[in-house]
Amino acid sequence: MSREQYQVPTNSWSGGFGGSGAPAPRDYAGDNNNTTMTYLCGDCAARVPLEKGAPIRCNKCGARVLYKERTKRMVQFEAR
Amino acid sequence: MPHKPPTKEELDRRKIIGIHEETITNVTSSDIPYHYPGEDHSWDIEKFRKGFSVEFHQNDPYEASFSLIGCDASIANAFRRIMIADIPTLAIETVFINNNTSVIQDEVLAHRLGLIPFKGGREGLHNFLKWWRKPADESQINSSYYDFNTVSLRLDVKCEHNENATPGEKDPTKLYKHAHVYARDIEFCPVGRQEKYFSGADAIAPVNPDILIAKLRPGQEISLSMHMHKGVGSDHAKFSPVATASYRLMPVISIERPILGKDAEKFARCFPPGVIGLEKVTKKEAAQKGSGYEGHEGELKAVVVDPMRDTVSRECLRHPEFKDKVKLGRRRDHFIFLVESTGQWESDAIFIEAVAHLKKKAKDLEKQVINMVR
Repeated sequence: MSREQYQVPTNSWSGGFGGSGAPAPRDYAGDNNNTTMTYLCGDCAARVPLEKGAPIRCNKCGARVLYKERTKRMVQFEAR
Repeated sequence: MPHKPPTKEELDRRKIIGIHEETITNVTSSDIPYHYPGEDHSWDIEKFRKGFSVEFHQNDPYEASFSLIGCDASIANAFRRIMIADIPTLAIETVFINNNTSVIQDEVLAHRLGLIPFKGGREGLHNFLKWWRKPADESQINSSYYDFNTVSLRLDVKCEHNENATPGEKDPTKLYKHAHVYARDIEFCPVGRQEKYFSGADAIAPVNPDILIAKLRPGQEISLSMHMHKGVGSDHAKFSPVATASYRLMPVISIERPILGKDAEKFARCFPPGVIGLEKVTKKEAAQKGSGYEGHEGELKAVVVDPMRDTVSRECLRHPEFKDKVKLGRRRDHFIFLVESTGQWESDAIFIEAVAHLKKKAKDLEKQVINMVR
């Protein structure tokens, strides 16, 4: 994501982690402007597509812990 | 008084390192010029040839044991160090990870892959494959890989549930497909002339196919490709062709006065099995005056059978009944090597290559010295 595309989050926290008040959404999707990102559920390991601003919650089991997916890019290491 | 040449006993004595209860004596070698007045100990090729011999005790593909007799510790140590650090082998050097969702981290996985020893066609490994050098210009790196300096490998494993598993199965290897990733799952991808050198039985493959690389659970995946290059052990231990290359000095056990009967049996138990044997005192020995065997005909006496198997534990020196009856030592110029290959070279070929390597180093030095004097 280029510097110009970064938006300072505007929404303020609405009382901790509970409730429907989601933390400020950020545009992590990058250049393609596709606001849907897929995450992995920490409980049931299902792939969870999340819209921008959607509550962070697994749509299968309701767990609130989601993980980012691993990068699709190749990573190079020295075998040392 | 003119100098008398040393007797054979004196020469033998100089070769023995004395091992006593708590001390070691006569450690440094003294066969150097000007050490003994009137004796010429200057190094001479003919003298060396006469005194030098090599003796093989064991010569298996992956383990060899041999003796170098009649050479200096500096030479023996040079061979040992060259075998460990200077003989080139092929090993995984770069890992390109496309996906790794297993519990083992990318860096650790890459390191584990690097340490796996590989084998392949000898002609291809030793003559066809050349060194790969990282280009000075980092952007040119992709055009530095050729069939004669890079070997490409792949590893693609995905773990899934096994539908055919019996209900209640607990063993993960039966419950899931590809629960364990082994070295045999690594796939060799020949490029260009590598087809010619590494095909069939000569293919690049892990020496030990059962090395466990990672464990997976359903949904986890490892997908990566690897580049192998030639390297030397001084750069990284994964390039070392030997698991161990070590030497020890030949133990010497000399029984100075007879050890008989029950004492002889106890004496034999002080050493590893096979070092000390028991023999009956003969009539002739018993008849000999001053031999210590008088009147002991038919009794058992301790004799040294195979000192090479001794670990020189000095156990026999702890017992008062053997006091002054036995002398322990080591031969200063008898090196018992043990070379264990990791599989890319034959173990005896590693030593021969080490000799060639030392010769080349000496030739290079000679050239330098000649240039220096010019």
